[in-house]
Amino acid sequence: MSNHQYVVIVGCGQTGSRLANRLSVMGHSVVVIDQRRDAFAALGAEFSGFCLEGDGTDKACLDQAKISQADLVVAVTREDTVNMMVAQVTRHLWHIPRVVARVFHPALAAFCRKLGLETICPADTAADAVLRLAGLDGGPAGVGDGR
Amino acid sequence: MNRIGYLASRYRAILAYTGLMFLLVGVLMATPLLALVAWPEEVDQAVWFLVPSLIVAGVGWILWRACRIPEAATLTTAEGGVIVLLSWVGAIVASAMPLIPTASLNFTQAMFEAVSGWTTTGLSVVDVTRVSHLVLLWRSEMQLVGGAGLAVIMLAALTGPVGPGISKAEGRTDQLVPQVRQSVRLVLGLYGIYMLLGVGSLWAVGLSWFDAVNHAFAAISTGGFSTYSDSIGHWDRPAVEGVLIGLMILGNLNFLTAYLLLRGRLRAVSRNGEIRLLALLIPMSVAVAYFATCRMLYPAPGKALRVAVFESVSALTTTGFQTVGYGNWNGSGVGLLVVLMLIGGGVCSTAGGLKQYRIHILFRVTVRELKRLLLPQSTIMAEPVWQGEHRIFLQDAHVRQIVAFVCLYLATYATGSLILTMTGNSMEAAFFEFASAIGTVGLSVGVTTPGANPVALWTMSAGMFLGRLEFLVILMTVMKLGRDLKQLGHLATEKRSSGR
Repeated sequence: MSNHQYVVIVGCGQTGSRLANRLSVMGHSVVVIDQRRDAFAALGAEFSGFCLEGDGTDKACLDQAKISQADLVVAVTREDTVNMMVAQVTRHLWHIPRVVARVFHPALAAFCRKLGLETICPADTAADAVLRLAGLDGGPAGVGDGR
Repeated sequence: MNRIGYLASRYRAILAYTGLMFLLVGVLMATPLLALVAWPEEVDQAVWFLVPSLIVAGVGWILWRACRIPEAATLTTAEGGVIVLLSWVGAIVASAMPLIPTASLNFTQAMFEAVSGWTTTGLSVVDVTRVSHLVLLWRSEMQLVGGAGLAVIMLAALTGPVGPGISKAEGRTDQLVPQVRQSVRLVLGLYGIYMLLGVGSLWAVGLSWFDAVNHAFAAISTGGFSTYSDSIGHWDRPAVEGVLIGLMILGNLNFLTAYLLLRGRLRAVSRNGEIRLLALLIPMSVAVAYFATCRMLYPAPGKALRVAVFESVSALTTTGFQTVGYGNWNGSGVGLLVVLMLIGGGVCSTAGGLKQYRIHILFRVTVRELKRLLLPQSTIMAEPVWQGEHRIFLQDAHVRQIVAFVCLYLATYATGSLILTMTGNSMEAAFFEFASAIGTVGLSVGVTTPGANPVALWTMSAGMFLGRLEFLVILMTVMKLGRDLKQLGHLATEKRSSGR
């Protein structure tokens, strides 16, 4: 496995668990962090990584996940601010090559992009998808940020 | 109808992977023939290995081709359990076949020997002075492969189902890294290093190549088959015993602990409960064995201490090499060995027994409950346990599983031992020998002989099998098979009545 990746996922909700399952099947090493033990029930039988119960913004917890070895960190907790913090912290303290944060609020997402973080905003993504389906893509992005 | 379709697709995947495991067994069964290079005069026995090898490989190939599915299936632990159970039974039956003509055993004895080999026990009914090199090598190879586990080899070397279900079903519960395929590769790599280390160091202390290979295989798999009828007592040399003690302790280490040790994480290793228990148990049991038993029996200087150390380590690591017979041992010596055999080796190692980890947890829980007696009723106590480099807090659910396991183990132990007493053995011998069987140890006080009662041999075979595959997996698998069959029967009758 030449392109084997070590992935740390913070937040084991619907997105986090799906991502973890798929990465596991693809043969990558996956560590999932969540504060609630019950959240790990969402992981399927195909998941073969580690589960870590703890706070993804806590340095000790991230150290336990061996964050310094990570090729990719994904922050997908339900809190925008937590995701932003995880992304910023892991990027600047551990210099992770690739950090992706999910931010629900389009305005915050735009702000994150300005900070240079790779950000996914489900609202923007959905809006883009609708426009593409309607054959109207290419419109100005970032308009209607709720500001 | 949907339900039938679903079950059919699941069992199709299960049978495909079982076929793959059979194929693996078939290939392995042909490897003892490599010994023909050194002993060409044994070529007349080759056919007895080749025919079963071809049959099992052929069945495996047909299953794999007939049931193969386009992409790797995801299996739960219960489904993995079905594969593990089917392929282990298949492997054992196939491996017993060459032993019937070549070691002149009957079916019961051959099955006993094969179970003892695959489960890394080491109790033997073969007269090792009269069989060929092929048979001796095959016995050691069964132990080597049984120690690693078929599922681990399949996952690491070939393709296999997605997810950790199947390796968990074979008793590999601790993962080294957060990806099961990499983890099993590391386990196999570590095992390979042990193997080379073992063969090399045994050869260096003066064993012939053939003896070094056989005893290294049997030591690192904590198996215990020997090529001499008086086992390690054949050499009676401190250097040989010293090397084997090292190899047995390596084999008994949890692979996760060994991995941390290799990577220099000494702090994590020193915090590990199993290591602490080992550090306490070995000196204590050596002291008991020395002062209560060996000092009086072996007057030669140093011999008593050597015997005390070797037998204690052999029992605790569930290997089963012996340097002396236990016929003249007193009750405290034999009793000590029984206790050590029941405790057994590390979890996620090649060793058997209750496992040091479970004993450690039960000890911690007991201490906590005693402390609780003096504390206010509403006190909440957290019990941190180190698993590798992770600190986890002990959950009640986990403790419940351990208690259930220990209960099942001890109940089976009592039942099996009583059956052995009914076949004409003394109580001491029966309780010793069954502890040895269920813990996959292999020490013997003489119950296991070629002339032993078939009932005794089958009882011990069952004990060894349950002990290696850890009860719960077998029970879960049998219950799952029963439930699925019942459901199929139910659906079939429904369909028939609705069709009328």
